[in-house]
Amino acid sequence: MVSKASRREFLKRASALSFAAAGAPFALNLATIGAASAQVVSGYRAVVCVFLYGGNDHTNTIIPYDSTDYAEYLNARPEIAIPRNDLTATSIGPVASQGGRSFAFHPTLSAFKALYDAGNLAVVPNVGPLVVPTTKSQYENRSVPLPPKLFSHNDQQSVWQANTPIGEGARLGWGGRMGDLLASQNGLPIFTAVSAAGNAVFLSGQQVLQYQMSTSGALSIAGISGNLYGSSSASSLYRQLITGNSTHLFEDELGQVTSRSIAANSLLASSLPPASQFVVPVPSGNGLASQLNIVARMIFARSSLSTNRQVFFVSLGGFDNHDFLLDRHGAQLQQLNDAVNAFYGWLGEMQLQNNVTLFTASDFGRTLTSNGDGSDHGWGSHHFVIGGAVQGGEMYGTFPQVAFGTNEDIRQGNLLPTTSVDQYAATFARWLGVPDSSVPDILPNIVNFDAWPSRYLDFLV
Amino acid sequence: MHTICSPHEEHSSGRNSYDKHPLADRHTIRSLLLAGIAAVLLAACGGETSQENTEEDTGPFVALTTEAEASRFLAQAGMGASDEGIRQVQRANYTGWLDQQFAITPRYSHRTYIDALIASGQNPNQSHVMHTFWKQVAVAPDQLRQKVAFALSQIFVISQLDSAVGGYERGVASYLDMLGREAFGNYRSLLEAVSRHPMMGLYLSHLRNQKASGNRVPDQNFAREVMQLMSIGLYELNPDGTLVMAGKAPVETYSNEDIVGLSHVFTGFSWAGPDRQNGRFYGSSSNPPPDPNREVLPMQGYPQFHSTEEKRFLGTVIPAQGTPDPDGSLRIALDTIFNHPNVGPFIGRQLIQRMVTSNPSPGYVGRVTQAFNSGSYSHGNWRTGNGQRGDMRAVIAAVLLDSEARDIAMASAPGFGKVREPVLRLAAWMRAFDATSKSTNYLLGNTDSPSNALGQSPMRSPSVFNFYRPGYVPPNTGIAAANLVAPEFQIIHETSVVGYSNFMRDAVRYGVGSNSPRDIQADYSKELALADEPDALIDRIDLLLTYGTMSTATRDLIRDAVESISINPLNPSAGRQNRVYVATFFTVSSPDFIVQK
Repeated sequence: MVSKASRREFLKRASALSFAAAGAPFALNLATIGAASAQVVSGYRAVVCVFLYGGNDHTNTIIPYDSTDYAEYLNARPEIAIPRNDLTATSIGPVASQGGRSFAFHPTLSAFKALYDAGNLAVVPNVGPLVVPTTKSQYENRSVPLPPKLFSHNDQQSVWQANTPIGEGARLGWGGRMGDLLASQNGLPIFTAVSAAGNAVFLSGQQVLQYQMSTSGALSIAGISGNLYGSSSASSLYRQLITGNSTHLFEDELGQVTSRSIAANSLLASSLPPASQFVVPVPSGNGLASQLNIVARMIFARSSLSTNRQVFFVSLGGFDNHDFLLDRHGAQLQQLNDAVNAFYGWLGEMQLQNNVTLFTASDFGRTLTSNGDGSDHGWGSHHFVIGGAVQGGEMYGTFPQVAFGTNEDIRQGNLLPTTSVDQYAATFARWLGVPDSSVPDILPNIVNFDAWPSRYLDFLV
Repeated sequence: MHTICSPHEEHSSGRNSYDKHPLADRHTIRSLLLAGIAAVLLAACGGETSQENTEEDTGPFVALTTEAEASRFLAQAGMGASDEGIRQVQRANYTGWLDQQFAITPRYSHRTYIDALIASGQNPNQSHVMHTFWKQVAVAPDQLRQKVAFALSQIFVISQLDSAVGGYERGVASYLDMLGREAFGNYRSLLEAVSRHPMMGLYLSHLRNQKASGNRVPDQNFAREVMQLMSIGLYELNPDGTLVMAGKAPVETYSNEDIVGLSHVFTGFSWAGPDRQNGRFYGSSSNPPPDPNREVLPMQGYPQFHSTEEKRFLGTVIPAQGTPDPDGSLRIALDTIFNHPNVGPFIGRQLIQRMVTSNPSPGYVGRVTQAFNSGSYSHGNWRTGNGQRGDMRAVIAAVLLDSEARDIAMASAPGFGKVREPVLRLAAWMRAFDATSKSTNYLLGNTDSPSNALGQSPMRSPSVFNFYRPGYVPPNTGIAAANLVAPEFQIIHETSVVGYSNFMRDAVRYGVGSNSPRDIQADYSKELALADEPDALIDRIDLLLTYGTMSTATRDLIRDAVESISINPLNPSAGRQNRVYVATFFTVSSPDFIVQK
């Protein structure tokens, strides 16, 4: 086999390689264990987190439409307000839960308006991270615990995604923790928590490892098969090289990620349908749509991948509009609108609109004040929940007055949240099938919100 | 054509710098060093590519480091080791090499490259910024400057991904030039150059930022990020980089009030030009006409847009101004930030992470902080830095000459070192194999895609938070269990490992970049000469890419792969080529290489 290697070297290497072989296909081992122990319950369910990186300007996303409320909005941020005439086509309401007030979605969110009217989209106004229910005076006096490093991008991204409010460096996300509790329902645990948008703490569990999916679909490492630079045996050596174990922690982790990639790819290659599977076209030049398309294709392959409960993560960036808000924000929301609309179409083609729920999240809301051409970092924000299972055409929570000096205005019109991220998250956990008693394992602070007014919101039951 | 260097330049770096070495007496070393310096300076003002840097060994060669030590040093201090670089370090030793590098006047300007394109009638695009980046990686003699500038570009982040910045190729090129220029200066000067650069002004939106009026308030973007990311960070640090604790909680360096206060400082700055008319501030395209160089000139103050109210931040108070004074406010603000005790450990630790190791010991960080604070660093009889707080030469020397960086025994510690970011992996390949460009312009553009490229392009970070965070911990891993951070793992995942492997599989054989054949090609002539002797071939690649630390397991796999390719005596070239390809591809894919130790 080896021309020049001494016997001693050969034995040493053989030993090292057998160790590697035992440890390398970690994902496959997991899969085997999972397949043995899974109790697959009927009825596929998945949630999809659409993270709007940079902090979405919620004030221009959902706008008061009644003339007096609109006048307040216009007065608060005249340089960056959307003209009322532009809002007519996307106006909604009157909304019963908000005292009959009317609102309008950003003019680009025409599909959201249609989904709202059809009862498949709910709005959760002024949601944000909190440790306990917090009043304005409690915030001002710092008399209750608050999430760390409010207004800081990376920290608030982490706080939103983490299972408890921990800034950058958090290691557990509520998506991943939901996955921990649901993975036993999947034959292949490796596809329980799937990101199409890079590593995100949202999908980090205690056992579940997030799987990073390429928008291109299954991806093969060319070097591990076939002829490599004229050698028929080099490819298997190459595979050993890149999947080996090491006593160096970084080297070892490289091998594990690569092993997982190879294992997942071999499963996906035979299961994933092509992009042309769906009639509704993938919107072009829309990165979020490409991500949602691969999510839809993976959902399509749910039976052959033996998955029954999944948590997905996709993202759209560029929302940090300190400048050029009117131009840029419209373009981003247009992408969001088009991508989600196409995704909802794909779900329809699979007859899974009732089985998949999509929701938005973001670093934070933004100031009501203008800095001339944009807005600054805030806290509470408005978010959307979309799906056939959603009790749509309604708002859950209290839409604040868009004005200064209100009970929610902590400075510059930044919103003190009146619904916590924990409540938002718990509602998805319950819908996915996490038992009530286990929800605090995912979200330890949820027990603080029983009286606010309840642990769960009513948009999903 | 070659430029003629003025004679005095050869003496400008005549600092007699050397370490004691048992192999040679001081006199010999000194004359060798001076010869080496002259040779480097000659190279520095010489031809168009490194291939023309015809440094010849003159006189007896006395090695002051081993080849492997020199190669390892160049992995940390430069964009990668090469034969020429190894010889330079061996001749000059680490300290002499640093002196040589500090003395090289930057001769390639990114902006000049873009200007030349424009002058020739071309319309520059983002790729051209990447071309000039790669060109300097491959050919510039000031490798230390390239490395530090790239590190700084990941701390003082601007990005062509941003729609405001993306269309200003001259501006981005000049920003990269600025980082290189300031890399060997003083942090205070760097901070001001960053703060005033119009590309940063566009990226973090303090360009055109105005004083408050009515409900409108100043933009807080730059005020926040300059403190959080570019100077002091979120929490008070001890000089060794550990957190100052108040009981069980870290102590925040600033509050939102400080950000609001500082945001008033960054008002009234906008495009440079011969006057300070309102239209120029707003960026008018006609009234007045924009200065043709506004995207490369530092922003200027416009008093009429600068906040006059009292400004409070970080314990400093700028009193209300009767006459608005943007330049005066800026000076006080940057002085205040610069003198914050966090800057040394905060910036020092990140430079260590970018060049040497993700998890430096507190002692290591403390020594770099000491260099930052004192502006000076000594190593034996050698000294660098001018004694002013923030001296970057002292900081860089402290990062690279620290015992923790230099001790080869660290290479086998289970948590030492850093993952080479993908840009640096490709750079190491280009350097090791003297990659040439047929067009001479190194036509490699966007390598963003994690699926089929590097998952990273220079100057195209997804946000001001860089490609990865200094504190990133890959969840559920042995790294996390050991309480280590691994920043670059933030962009390593199931997709990007495939993209990198496939990209390099092609690159090793076909080169990289535009055109057919691809514009950038490795020169494997020295490796081909060793292809009949697998161990010698592997030794050479091990030296260049893994500085002689390749593990036995990796080496054995590579030998097996090389030996699986036979060499036909009647037509040996194909087999030899394939042997070199396979050895190179295996090495750049190996954990031994990807983790720089």
